[in-house]
Amino acid sequence: MEDFLYFFSFQDPNVLMVVIGISLLSISAAMVGTFTFLDKKALVGDAISHAVLPGVCLAFMFSGNKNPFWIVSGAFFTGGLCTYAITWISNYTKLKEDTVIASVLSIFFGVGIVMMTQLQQTGNASLSGLDHFIFGNAISIVRKDLWVYGFLALAIILSILFFYKEFKVMVFNRSFAESVGLPVKRLEFLFNSLMVLAVVTGIQAIGVVLMAALLITPAAAAKFWTDRLDKMLWIAVSFSLVSGITGAYISFVLPHMPTGPWVVIVLSLIAFLSFFFSVKKGILTKWIARRNYQRKIHSDHILKALFGAREKGITNLSVESIFNNFPGKSFKTQYSINKLINKKYITDNQGSISLTKKGLTEAKRIVRLHRLWELYMTEYMNIAPDHVHDSAEKLEHIITPELEQKLDKNLNFPQADPHQSIIPRDQDKS
Amino acid sequence: MIEQINNPVVEVHDLMVSYGQNPVLWNIDLTLPAGNLIGILGPNGAGKSTLIKAIMGLVEANSGYSKIFDQDLNHVRNRVSYVPQRESVDWDFPASALDIVMMGTYHHLGLFKRPGKKEKELAMDCLQKVNMKAFAKRQISELSGGQQQRVFIARALAQQADIYFMDEPFAGVDMSTEKALVSLFQEMTATGKTVIVVHHDIYSAGKYFNWLIMLNMHLIASGPTEKVLTEDLLTKTYGGKLSMLTDIGELIKKSDFNPLKN
Repeated sequence: MEDFLYFFSFQDPNVLMVVIGISLLSISAAMVGTFTFLDKKALVGDAISHAVLPGVCLAFMFSGNKNPFWIVSGAFFTGGLCTYAITWISNYTKLKEDTVIASVLSIFFGVGIVMMTQLQQTGNASLSGLDHFIFGNAISIVRKDLWVYGFLALAIILSILFFYKEFKVMVFNRSFAESVGLPVKRLEFLFNSLMVLAVVTGIQAIGVVLMAALLITPAAAAKFWTDRLDKMLWIAVSFSLVSGITGAYISFVLPHMPTGPWVVIVLSLIAFLSFFFSVKKGILTKWIARRNYQRKIHSDHILKALFGAREKGITNLSVESIFNNFPGKSFKTQYSINKLINKKYITDNQGSISLTKKGLTEAKRIVRLHRLWELYMTEYMNIAPDHVHDSAEKLEHIITPELEQKLDKNLNFPQADPHQSIIPRDQDKS
Repeated sequence: MIEQINNPVVEVHDLMVSYGQNPVLWNIDLTLPAGNLIGILGPNGAGKSTLIKAIMGLVEANSGYSKIFDQDLNHVRNRVSYVPQRESVDWDFPASALDIVMMGTYHHLGLFKRPGKKEKELAMDCLQKVNMKAFAKRQISELSGGQQQRVFIARALAQQADIYFMDEPFAGVDMSTEKALVSLFQEMTATGKTVIVVHHDIYSAGKYFNWLIMLNMHLIASGPTEKVLTEDLLTKTYGGKLSMLTDIGELIKKSDFNPLKN
């Protein structure tokens, strides 16, 4: 708790610097990542985040120290080279893009690992902590780093804001963007550069490989919560910020813990929660909707059973006889009966169930939809009358009033269905 | 039957286009009059979409050129609108119908500027014209195919162009929408605008268009509908590809380079 207060009160200027650094890089990664994700370039982002490793090592070899300027330049060089290689090979060979990405990624990363192992063998003291560049350590950010990485991140954020509408058209509809005369080739070059830069800004704090997650996961999780691009950007940015700062905090409290993996764990948790609990598209929402639908079907069937009895002149059914209509489903049936009583569709008079006026109207509607659809299938689709029941049984629950009107009109307000049962109307006497 | 005219809005001169190694359009020469509703007819793979893509500079021509209003496309882009095929985009993109139509106003705005109230009003007007105002706030993936198509046409209207190239605007559209769109296009041409539509239904083509281009890898006809809609020309268009063109295409595909490219 003490640590928590110390960290989040930002009284330590070093902590403040780390938080500013990680916030800027989280924001820039999430913003670029949203467009990368929508442009279906997630794999390219992954390849770039592997391909910056040899660049980092090259920078060490040339400069002999961990000067952030050289590291950024080296990483940008190999990251850019990787992006270019992917485009070039895909364009000039018949290889599929996923094959190209996978091979380019592993070649660059393999070369990077070889170089890094070689560097560590030399025993150069100034190279200690080189492995931080694999998994990242936010706490190792010093003022000099902040200037370089912070400036880059800020430049990325501003570029995305400036070119927001151009990137939006380009990603949604490239040929249209070209047709109105947008410089699509140059915009794409700019965007690819931003993507490489976004990865480069994270190499010290998050680590080379794991930057791919910070690029793509916030956008993927945000997509579950909204269907507007501007909102998606802000949601992705918030997810990214939360996980970035949490990761930095954990590295602060437990200094042996690398930042990158923790950022990824927090991000994955957010993505997982979005996947299950998002209001619009979550698994849970879908599951609840499905269950509610099944409950509605069962209630509809009880109303139909009562209406069927009524057609034979029986106005009341005992609870037992309703139960017998649905063998093995007594629990579900009891639940539906209670629901229908609550909604005032039926009344329960000492175990004897009957339709209320409101219930009768609803029951008639369901039966009417069933019979109208059966008639439509026989009249318009030439389906034999004995083959129409099953689909009507399913569609009676979902046909909307507008479709009902259309059916009625097409069939010229018919009296009876193909089995010569009367199609019930609201104005009928019974 | 290729009718050439004076002062055309679109002039295509000796245009030849290949996709990779595969030649799809052979030496197209045509001129189109202003204020007409023009249909491009031809079977699958005839190069109908390729023709308008080449005119719009979206695919590279091997040789030849096209001019719009007697100028290079780049000088008159603000007067030209292009409607791509509906299937060419991912409709799961996070945007509303209104967002998409607003894209039609972007090029008048220029870089950096955000669309404002004026652009929004224009976009709503355009949605109104295609009878989609009620769906302005709807996420585009929730729209039916025909509604998505109408959103694309509203976006083109928002460009306030003088000439419109539309790639299969009736694909996946129901009959009543198709009729509404045709009368919208006719209203547009009545005010002097030119609308060029890729279409493949010969039966409706005669009723919709007053100028027809018939294409099957090479140009078969271009002229007023009543002159070119003949049994003979239709047979030439739809009666299978010239077997020589197919053979030559196969031969070029097998070679290591495309001899038609400079």
